Amino acid sequence: MLKDFIEKNKGKTVFLEHEVKGLLKEAGISVPKGLFVSKEMAEQLSTRVDLSYPLVAKVSSTKISSKSNVQGVRIGLKNACELKKAVTELLQIKDAEGVLLEEMAPQGLEVIVGGIEDELFGPVVMFGLGGIFVELFKDVAFALAPLTEEEALWLIKQVKGYQLLEGYRGRPSVDKETLLKIIVTISTFIATGLIKEIDLNPIALYPEGAMVLDAKMLVNAQIGNLRPNNGNTNSP
Amino acid sequence: MNPLESLFNPKSISLIGAAHTEAKFGGIILKNLLRFKGKVYPVNPNYTYLMGLKAYPSVEKLPESVDLSIIIRPAPQVPEILKAHKDKAKCVIIISSGFAEIGEKNRQDEILHIARELNIRILGPNCIGIYNPYQRLDTLFLSYERLKRPKKGNIAVVSQSGAILSCLFGAIRKTNIGLSRAIHYGNAVDIDESDIYEYLANNDETRVVISYIESVKEGRKFIDRARLLSEKKPLLILKSGKSSRGQVAAYSHTGRLAGRYEVFHSILRQFNIKEVEDFDELMDAAKAISYQKPSPGQRVLILTNGGGSGVLAADECMRQKLEVAPLPEKSLKILKPLFPSFCVLNNPLDLTAHARDEDYLTALHELKEDYDGFIVISLTGVTGITERFIDLLKDFKTNTPKPIVSHIAYDSISRKLTLLLEKIGIPVYPSPERAVRGLKALLNPSPC
Repeated sequence: MLKDFIEKNKGKTVFLEHEVKGLLKEAGISVPKGLFVSKEMAEQLSTRVDLSYPLVAKVSSTKISSKSNVQGVRIGLKNACELKKAVTELLQIKDAEGVLLEEMAPQGLEVIVGGIEDELFGPVVMFGLGGIFVELFKDVAFALAPLTEEEALWLIKQVKGYQLLEGYRGRPSVDKETLLKIIVTISTFIATGLIKEIDLNPIALYPEGAMVLDAKMLVNAQIGNLRPNNGNTNSP
Repeated sequence: MNPLESLFNPKSISLIGAAHTEAKFGGIILKNLLRFKGKVYPVNPNYTYLMGLKAYPSVEKLPESVDLSIIIRPAPQVPEILKAHKDKAKCVIIISSGFAEIGEKNRQDEILHIARELNIRILGPNCIGIYNPYQRLDTLFLSYERLKRPKKGNIAVVSQSGAILSCLFGAIRKTNIGLSRAIHYGNAVDIDESDIYEYLANNDETRVVISYIESVKEGRKFIDRARLLSEKKPLLILKSGKSSRGQVAAYSHTGRLAGRYEVFHSILRQFNIKEVEDFDELMDAAKAISYQKPSPGQRVLILTNGGGSGVLAADECMRQKLEVAPLPEKSLKILKPLFPSFCVLNNPLDLTAHARDEDYLTALHELKEDYDGFIVISLTGVTGITERFIDLLKDFKTNTPKPIVSHIAYDSISRKLTLLLEKIGIPVYPSPERAVRGLKALLNPSPC
């Protein structure tokens, strides 16, 4: 599936948020219901979109790595009027290629799941608690990809804030099974060697289910060039 | 046969760049090689004899093909010298520096290329080589006057730094444990830590491996071999260079968080490979596992005749994720009438300054089934502690296979007690905390 996706987009290394989310959705991972509005389409943006308010609008660009740094996110848009204003403003941001409109997701426990091609170990998957836990405490753990569900369970237990997933001080516990499935999927994605970096950040976890609120992906520039498993090389 | 056998257990050795005086490294190495049990062929065109051995003018003139050849000549000469080893050696140690470590990457690539062509394995370059007390084989350019060697034992030291290797020699001697092999692999152009792990996994004289690492070249191969080794015997890794810089020019948040060390640390945990924090913990842990066999569990009993020392040990247990579980009810009932009323029957179990040798044994016997490991603290300033303490502990140790370590404070008879305890296989530490860290290496601390 990842292979087909990259094949279809040959030559592209960076993808827009809705493209990455489309891929995730195909892989069985939930994302908010959304609509991508390109710069060209914006003019004809009808006042009636097939989404239920309130909405969130986010600037889309392969050149913008942090949307919040450029004030590129508007949340809690309640009606067509607010929506129109937001889209117009967002499109004025430098390098904007379009706007992604999404239904607001309910508040959940935020986590981050990512994968990178580590310079030493090759494909590695990461799990961490989102929000201030990742920013302030760097409460993350890594593992060699790919992972089984059992190994993914080990991984999430490595972070200091693991208890939050179990429900802490009256908060509900979250759907760990869905989280494990996401980690396993991302670990198999990164293990293909087709992508260099992938970020699902944040993912909102709920008592039942989970939703990826933002995602980015960088494809390996030499695609088609599957990296060898260097587990058993070198012995002359 | 493992290809590293000719490195660690050669029958014959040539030394290219042998010298007549200990003022030169080539002289120190030759002197150290005089202890070697096999044949030694010094090579130096200017001498017919060196330190009483017949010298040879060149590699080509060696009377036989050797298992191991040691090269200590200036780096620019090394490629030619190596070529001359065609059909003359199975393995070479290149002591010389002047390769990739100073930017001479091409020269390093060249020697690897030559060695592959000639089917010769290389240790180094830029290394001090190996020490195998079982063969009295010593390629270090450090004299015995300046650096004493540890005794024969069961610990193998694998070091990426020559300096750390020499420091470990001192620490191991002081710790009263012994070496099976020591190796410094330097630039690791060919033989690296993974190859060495593979050899040590099947080396019967080695029961414990400690490994100092600055960087590894091939992450997946390293993990693979380290995992296979740890499945057979304890492996302790000390990694230096723990700065948490992320991967350069990362696109994602993950990339910025993925510091080289964080990833390394996580992956060691993923495969259950033990990592120690620092040099001291390396020595404390190595000592414990050199004396005793690891055992499952995490419940610790602290037995002391000094309250404060017991509390310090308990604090360290908490930091190290070891469980200081309270005494079981049934044992309390049994122990209460046996000890004076002012004894604190708890964990730590404080026998107080009135403790006598046999009180330790009484408590240990009653509680041996309820705990996984034992810390025996004995402050010897009081008269109740005598040499009988040793016999009693020996009796306990022969009857229970569970880990037991000791802290004995510096005092009158402490030195003697320490020696005697270590003789019966109980490692002794100079502080309560270090005793705990030693015990931790023998148990399985809880994961979170």
